[in-house]
Amino acid sequence: MEFIDYYKLLELDKSASQADIKKAYRKLARKYHPDLNPNDKDAQLRFQQINEANEVLSDPEKRKKYDEYGKDWKHADQFEEARRQQAASGGGFGGGFGGGGQSYTYSGSFDDDTFSDFFEQMFGGRARARGSHRGGHFKGQDYNAELQLKLSEVYKSKKHTLTVNGKNIRLTIPAGVENGQTIKIRGHGGPGVQGGPKGDLYITFNILNDTGFRRERENLYSTEEIDLTTAVLGGEIHVRTFDGKVKLKVKPGTQNGTKVKLKGKGFPKYKKEGQFGDLFITYKVKLPKHLNNDQERLFRELQKTGL
Amino acid sequence: MKKDNLIPAEEICIRYKVERKFVSYLFESGIIEIVKIEETEYIPDEHLSEFERMIRLSRDLEINLEGLEAIHHLLQQIDKLQQDNRRLRNRLGLYE
Repeated sequence: MEFIDYYKLLELDKSASQADIKKAYRKLARKYHPDLNPNDKDAQLRFQQINEANEVLSDPEKRKKYDEYGKDWKHADQFEEARRQQAASGGGFGGGFGGGGQSYTYSGSFDDDTFSDFFEQMFGGRARARGSHRGGHFKGQDYNAELQLKLSEVYKSKKHTLTVNGKNIRLTIPAGVENGQTIKIRGHGGPGVQGGPKGDLYITFNILNDTGFRRERENLYSTEEIDLTTAVLGGEIHVRTFDGKVKLKVKPGTQNGTKVKLKGKGFPKYKKEGQFGDLFITYKVKLPKHLNNDQERLFRELQKTGL
Repeated sequence: MKKDNLIPAEEICIRYKVERKFVSYLFESGIIEIVKIEETEYIPDEHLSEFERMIRLSRDLEINLEGLEAIHHLLQQIDKLQQDNRRLRNRLGLYE
């Protein structure tokens, strides 16, 4: 359990008035509200912390306890233990800790256990806070997950089993998802609040390229080496595509760096079944490094012809 | 249009404890859609997340209706920029 300086969090000193606390909280809440900082986990954490700080400091009773124990909050444990022992033996402390159990409705997108251990130990485990304490039937929290897949695994639609909050979810990942893309799976988030619908599951894909192709959306790019003689005289070569090799004609006089397009041999288009992008191949003409005597003689002959 | 994915606006107001004019304003400013079938107004359920976001912002941060409209617009722009950024990063990977 780590001590959290609520005053420092709200950028206040200990003499701050209730109006100062309210003002500081509102300023920081606007800055770090999760709805204003989508996909920013740091902002979400900060928002939780400032809510926690506000929850304590805006309540004079809680603030008093916090001010009293402050950095020495560990003594609060001993105090609590002593109080329990006293209560068990028929005695009792007036006041003190254990004021939890207060419950707020909540429209958030963070977990049950996101309040710091410090807060829970000081003020009771289930007490929660977020700006909206007014009631309502809210959709359950949205879950965010990251899924790492290989590029070769998203060439075809495939079923995957994900474990989200201890539950296995089997779902089909459509072919053609992009690196960094987020998809929403409806109804696989947290349970609704007070009868509200279930939240959604957002999956962000981290796609590792395990192939020799470069990908840009549905198009693929590769480089193929061709012999000097094939480049000059033309011929046939076998080139790699994502689903196997294909034979390709090379035109006579093909220059180094020439690009050819293989229509429909690219990557599947996302959510467009049966449609594919193109494969762009760049030819790299391979120049011989070592010539035998015969080859050298022939090149000299060619040189004499003015080539 | 099928009613399966539509939620009556009246029911939404009761469940979320919001005034009818709040829903109307979100519709007028293009933040959510309203579908009218036989004099009853419905909100498509795919707009529920955005609707809830507006409620949270309104309640948590005490933002007025005009502010919500501005925030919605800016969040859309951020979303678009993030998408562009993702595409550019993926494209940049081509040259690395």
